[in-house]
Amino acid sequence: MLKRLYDWIDLRIGAREIVQKELTGYLLPRKINEWYSLGSVLLVIFALQVATGILLMIYYVPDAERAFKSITFIMNELPYGWLIRLCHAVGSNMMVAVLMLHMLSTLIMGSYKSPRELNWLTGFLLFTLVQGISLTGYLAPWSQLSFWATTVATNSASAIPAIGPYLVEFLRGGKLVGPPTLGRFFALHVALLPIAIAALIGAHLFLLKRTGISTPPFGDPETNKPWQPKSYSYQSHPGGIPFFPNYALQDLTSICIYFAIFLALVFFAPNLFFTPDAFVPADPFQTPAHIKPEWYFLANYQTLKIFPSELLGLFVQAAAMTFLALLPFIDRSPERHPLKRPLFLACAVGGILLWIGLTVWGHFS
Amino acid sequence: MENDGRRKFLGVCLAGATTAAAVAAVYPVFRYLAPRSSRLGEGKLVFAAGDIPEGEAKFFEYAGSAAVLVRTRTGELAALSAVCTHLGCIVQWEKDKQDFLCPCHAGHYSPDGAVLSGPPPRPLAKIPVTVAEGKIIVG
Repeated sequence: MLKRLYDWIDLRIGAREIVQKELTGYLLPRKINEWYSLGSVLLVIFALQVATGILLMIYYVPDAERAFKSITFIMNELPYGWLIRLCHAVGSNMMVAVLMLHMLSTLIMGSYKSPRELNWLTGFLLFTLVQGISLTGYLAPWSQLSFWATTVATNSASAIPAIGPYLVEFLRGGKLVGPPTLGRFFALHVALLPIAIAALIGAHLFLLKRTGISTPPFGDPETNKPWQPKSYSYQSHPGGIPFFPNYALQDLTSICIYFAIFLALVFFAPNLFFTPDAFVPADPFQTPAHIKPEWYFLANYQTLKIFPSELLGLFVQAAAMTFLALLPFIDRSPERHPLKRPLFLACAVGGILLWIGLTVWGHFS
Repeated sequence: MENDGRRKFLGVCLAGATTAAAVAAVYPVFRYLAPRSSRLGEGKLVFAAGDIPEGEAKFFEYAGSAAVLVRTRTGELAALSAVCTHLGCIVQWEKDKQDFLCPCHAGHYSPDGAVLSGPPPRPLAKIPVTVAEGKIIVG
């Protein structure tokens, strides 16, 4: 029955040809490793965020008077509302964490280098958009935590000379965070940013398909020729392993490992990403003590605190982000093995340690 | 042969695990989306007898749906579902004609819910009503 249906479809759209070209005949490097599967894990996380987000939108009310009550209703009264909401909240943190690991593996294996500069750039833009969608979603519950974290986050833009104060007002839709902020953050969170992220994922995958998968820099070098910047050529891997079933199984394994960690957090540490202020409705006249941003913004938060001038703190962060975004254009040597790039490795390890140090400092400061 | 048996066994295990995972994912979503009205009990509603004068009707929500309490000019009291049995519109009380009209397709019902004319296939559903100590108890 299934075979007859498949034959029927194949006769019309040439399904077997697509499967042969894109799945069973799509060859990957023989020494491809587990880190290459993080992109697939991220696709699954994004799909899950979209699905749980749509489900939450059914009952969530984006109105300052009723937002917190609607979240309380979802959490406490709707059957499995707590599960959907926690999957969305924990999932957003996991998406940032897995995205960081994906970028880290790309950095260490030098996969951002020519001819994959655009893959890196689109990935970097995706990272900033994911941070943006997390920040805008953070305000949605209209709790003390979300209200004051948004106040602090939006206020940092005020250090920009000349336009800073107006920019803050523009972001908030008023002088202070209030109902207009919720309206514009909600629109960004559920419409503009998801569409932008989906479009960029499309561009990222398109670039991946056009350039071909990079070969890991470890082990014996592959026999294929290195990339020559003279004319376009797809990096194929003759004699490699097929995507389906070989690497699809690795993707599935990584997705299962991800779900094990993700569901362990949802069921056994659901409040890991919530402080007590997350359970109190927003009060614009009552600032809670020691308000902190999400863990992935703690390093930025601490950097702003270290520098005597907020403008200098913002400038340093902007410079670091620009450097990271343009890395493929700065680091142009063709060598990709991390141990054969001591300067890069020292900078990368130093940068990661600095980021971890600032995050821990930010958490305890 | 033995290999085929193992392959089949693993296939069955995989299919079982996939089905269990799918059910575990779909069931909470179904429960989350299930309409709340079906979870509400059909409790009792109490009205003061003076709330419904003779010849008039009072519409209210009952068990997640629309209902109407009507007292005819002869003093008879009835509680009915206000949902037309044709296509689900809400009927209106015509005080001058002392009947119910469904404005969607001109179905007419008598004050006790019987079909007088038009397309409705069944009478309006009756809801139990009692009167005690000057109070009307619906349900």
